[in-house]
Order: sequence, then C-alpha cells, then structure tokens
Amino acid sequence: MKFVGIVGSSAERSYNRLLLEYIRKQFKLKFELEILEIDEVPMFNQDDNWADSFQLRLLNNKITRADGVIIATPEHNHTITAALKSVLEWLSYQVHPFESKPVMIVGASYYDQGTSRAQAHLREILDAPGVNAYTLPGNEFLLEKAKEAFDDEGNIISQDTVNFLETCLDNFIKYVEVVSSLKKPKPIAPEDLDADHPIKTTVTEVDPDDPEWVEKVAEITGAVSGDTYVKLDHGILTVDQINMFLKSMPFELTYADDNNQFLYYNNAHQDPETMFAKRVPAQSGSRLSTVHNSLPPARMKNVEWVVGTLRNGNQEFVRTIVPGAPASVVNTHHYQAMYYPDGSYAGINELVFNFKPWLDWYLKETGQRLVGKKMGAMMPDASTGASETPSAEMTPDANTGASEH
Amino acid sequence: MKLIGIVGTNSAKSTNRKLLQYMQSHLADKAKIELVEVKDIPVFNKPADKKVPEKVTEIAAKIEAAEGVIIATPEYDHSIPAALMNALAWLSYGISPLLNKPVMITGASYGKLGSSRAQAQLRQILDAPELKASVMPGSEFLLAHSLQAFDEAGDLIDLETVQKLDALFDDFRVFVKITAKLSNAHELLHQEAENFDWENL
Repeated sequence: MKFVGIVGSSAERSYNRLLLEYIRKQFKLKFELEILEIDEVPMFNQDDNWADSFQLRLLNNKITRADGVIIATPEHNHTITAALKSVLEWLSYQVHPFESKPVMIVGASYYDQGTSRAQAHLREILDAPGVNAYTLPGNEFLLEKAKEAFDDEGNIISQDTVNFLETCLDNFIKYVEVVSSLKKPKPIAPEDLDADHPIKTTVTEVDPDDPEWVEKVAEITGAVSGDTYVKLDHGILTVDQINMFLKSMPFELTYADDNNQFLYYNNAHQDPETMFAKRVPAQSGSRLSTVHNSLPPARMKNVEWVVGTLRNGNQEFVRTIVPGAPASVVNTHHYQAMYYPDGSYAGINELVFNFKPWLDWYLKETGQRLVGKKMGAMMPDASTGASETPSAEMTPDANTGASEH
Repeated sequence: MKLIGIVGTNSAKSTNRKLLQYMQSHLADKAKIELVEVKDIPVFNKPADKKVPEKVTEIAAKIEAAEGVIIATPEYDHSIPAALMNALAWLSYGISPLLNKPVMITGASYGKLGSSRAQAQLRQILDAPELKASVMPGSEFLLAHSLQAFDEAGDLIDLETVQKLDALFDDFRVFVKITAKLSNAHELLHQEAENFDWENL
C-alpha cells in the first residue's frame, strides 16, 4: 500500500513532520509513506491558477495516485494552520484529488490538548462537498506534549503510545481496503497514439517513423555518445556505461514518452525474433500507433487503455501475461508509469520478461510447489490493477514471505 | 463609534466585501466603519524571529485604535477561508490586538446555509487563548443567496434582512460599550497573551 503523508505546517521545525517521519520508519513493512511538504504553496485565491505552483501539482498528482493520505496537523488558534487550509482549498476548487480518498488524521502539539480541536475542524473540512474525502472514523491519534514525546533519534518514547499508533494505522489499512471498493476510476481520456502533440523534448524536425530517426535526431540535438560522462540521479556514468547497464537488465526495456513516441529500447538481442516483444532498430522514434500497427483494432484499444490508465493516475503500473506462450514461458509485460518531478505522467517504462525462471527459482529456494489449477488459471487479464493480490496458488505461506525479518 | 470591518477573503469578487461596504454606508450615521483586506499577507510559517509582516502590523494598529471589529466571512469547505485564518494567525503571533476586542461575526454565502459552519468555527478560533476576542454571543447574521441579495446600488434588497442587521448592529453597539467596562482582567490577560508561547508551556 502506498500512502502520502502531508505535513500540516509550513514551519521549519515541526513535530508533525517528526511524527510522520517516525511513522514512515517504524511501519515501513506495513505501507510505503511518502512525506510531502506544503511550505511553498501560495495562499489560496480563487483568482489565481493552482497549476502555477509546483508543490500543488506534486500534491495533486501524488494524492490522486495514493491508496490513502495521512495528514499530520498542528493546532493554531483552536484550528488547523492557514497553510494547510490553503492547500485544502486549492485541492477542492478546480481539482479534487481527495474525492473518495481514504484519509487519516494525526496531530502533534506542544500542550496537553494534542490538536483535538484542529482535528475536529479538519474532519469537518474533509467532509465538505468539494473535498469529499473518506476520513477514518474514530482512531484519534493525538500526540500531546510533543517536545518530550520523542527521543534524540526521533522515536516515540512511550511504548503505549507506539502501540496505540500502530492500532490506529492497522485500522486505517483495513479501512483503506474496504473503502477502496467505493472508488470510482477516473474516466480515461482518448489517447493520441500518433504522437501528434509534441512535448518539450520532442524533436519535431524528423518524422517519428523515419527508419533513420536515431541518427538524424542525434545529429540535430548533438546527442553525446561513447565515453562522454553524464550526470545522473544519483551518480556519474559514461554513455557506454549506461548502455551496458541497461542491456544487462534481465528485461526487454522500452521507453515511450508522454507524447506516445517510442524513443528507446535496450537492444540486447542478436535476433529480434527471439524477443518476447519484438523490437527492431528502425522502430526507435516511432509513433506508438506505428509500432503496434500489426495489432487488430481491439488490441489497439488495449494500448490506449494502458496509456490512459497510467496517464490519469488510476494505476501506477499495468501488468499482464501474454497468453499463448509455451509452458516454459510466462510472458510478462509490465508497463510502469514514469513521472516528471512534479509527479505528472512522463511516459511508460515497459518491462518485458519471462517470469517462469524467477518463479521456478523462488519455488526451489523455498521448497514449495504450485498446486491446483494450471498455469493458465493464474493469468490475470490486462485490466488487473496495482492493488490486485496474486492468486492463491502463487501466494507463499505466511511464514516464508519476504516480509519476514 | 469607530469600527474595523475585516473582509474575510482575498478574492477580487466577494459578496462579503459587498456586505461590509453596504454596512459601511447604511450604518454611516451610527458608526464609522473602515474596511481592511486580508489579501497579500504571506503564509504564516511561525518564523523564529517572531517578526510580523508590515501589512499585519498595519491591520493590528487599526484594530487597536478601533472600538470593535466586524468580520465578514465566506465559507470555504465548511470553514473560514485560509486567507482569514492566516491573518488571524499573524494577529496572534506575539501581538494581541484582538484581545477583549468586541467582535461581530457576519457572513454571506451563495447557497442557502449562509456560512453557518464557518461562523461557528470562527467563534471557536476567536476564543483561542492567543486571540481571546470578545465575540458578541447569539448574534448570527447569515446572508444566504448573497449573489441575489443586493441591488445595483449595492443595497440589501430584503427588508427583513435589513431590519435584522440593524437590530443586531444596535445590539453590537451596546455590546461594545459593555465590553469596554469588563476591563478588570484586561491587563492581566493582555500580558498572558503576549507572553503566550507554545514552546514553553
């Protein structure tokens, strides 16, 4: 499960940030928590444009895709901070990422009331028509006298408090599972698979379907190659090293940008016919519609669906098993969304691989075997979501799982 | 009587500003109401140096000099606008212009509930130890359907609404005078509010 944590204070030093950081660290096996700040969000004004703020775009994108949101609020003047209220106003005006989103409220305060009034206000606000969040009932976690509550490593000292926090979080996880069935997937907008909406990085001088696209674009852009150093996040590699690195991935990797242009694949196969998803050098740069032009119209709809689902934030990845493979092959296509720094959709990282050897290895290592239905029965269809659990046949015993520690 | 009217939103178009402007002219023979805006105040971020923006010290000085304050608040998401919340946070950060200051709460909304939830929250906020304003009790003035409430000259159309506002305002003038007499604890509370510091509780 993926949660977003919102620090409800724009102050540099905040016990609410400390509380979220503690939750992230202490309960990392229960869920993933990404903490987001609100300190650069301007004061809400209905005459201004929300999308001008990087932090608001990031909040909107991350909240949209999160399974749940944890808001940590301080209390100022018997209510939440103006900074947090401003964020909630922005995110309930022209965009509505909190719509049907499970939200949990926690709060840390200096004094013994522990943000009780602020939490009550926040509940009321989250209930407003433009916000429409699903706020977890009960489970009010108030961390009072926050100054004395943490040790030097940022851990909560009182074991009782930790236990109560864990109970609240466990309840929230269950709540998210239940409430997520009420979630309405966002409609998928039509996709332009012909890549006719150039983005900032698009090189418009060369036709995407030009078989010489790579060479021509390299010339125009002065693209570096060979032993030229490139600074990455995080490290330094030469272009040759990047190529070795990407080719050594045990996947067929394909990069398509958010204009649906196929820019790259890690060409590691001597013969394209041996690939699980055939790619040839002349395809680099092509429109997704051209790359898939051998597909029947119904399958093209699937391509559109995958891109649209990743673009609108309904899912962060789509995973499918391509049927019709021999028994030694589980032809897995995994479409992972890529994101710009503000969290908006940047394209697809397609990973294609045979899952069977990994599965065999896992079964051998753990002394297990598949029982029951045939392989075909465990193949989810293309619409299987991120939160879908694997079928029972694939689930290891509870006491042999990776989460064992 | 000198009063300050706080426009509780930073929006360029606001029926709450309209309401205060109406009160300003309609009640001109009873009180001099000066309007202040909460626009362009930086987002409150608890600066360690306790420095309050100039815009806020100006508002604080006006409030100090006035006998009472009228706040007109819209309702955003069941609560007062962040812009008003922000102004109040600054107005209680090492300064306390609203302490014991008589306050009348009004509000206008497009819908039929007339900012009732926002007003209830505003009461709680003004009651906080850092603010401790003296809000006139039982004086809810809710202007519903505010887009249709004014004529072209900016006057309230509905006679009953005007009468209610007049009556409430007369009460408020009395309330201002009574509150001025409740001064025994003022100095003490003033000290308390100014020294208020969450860090050192």
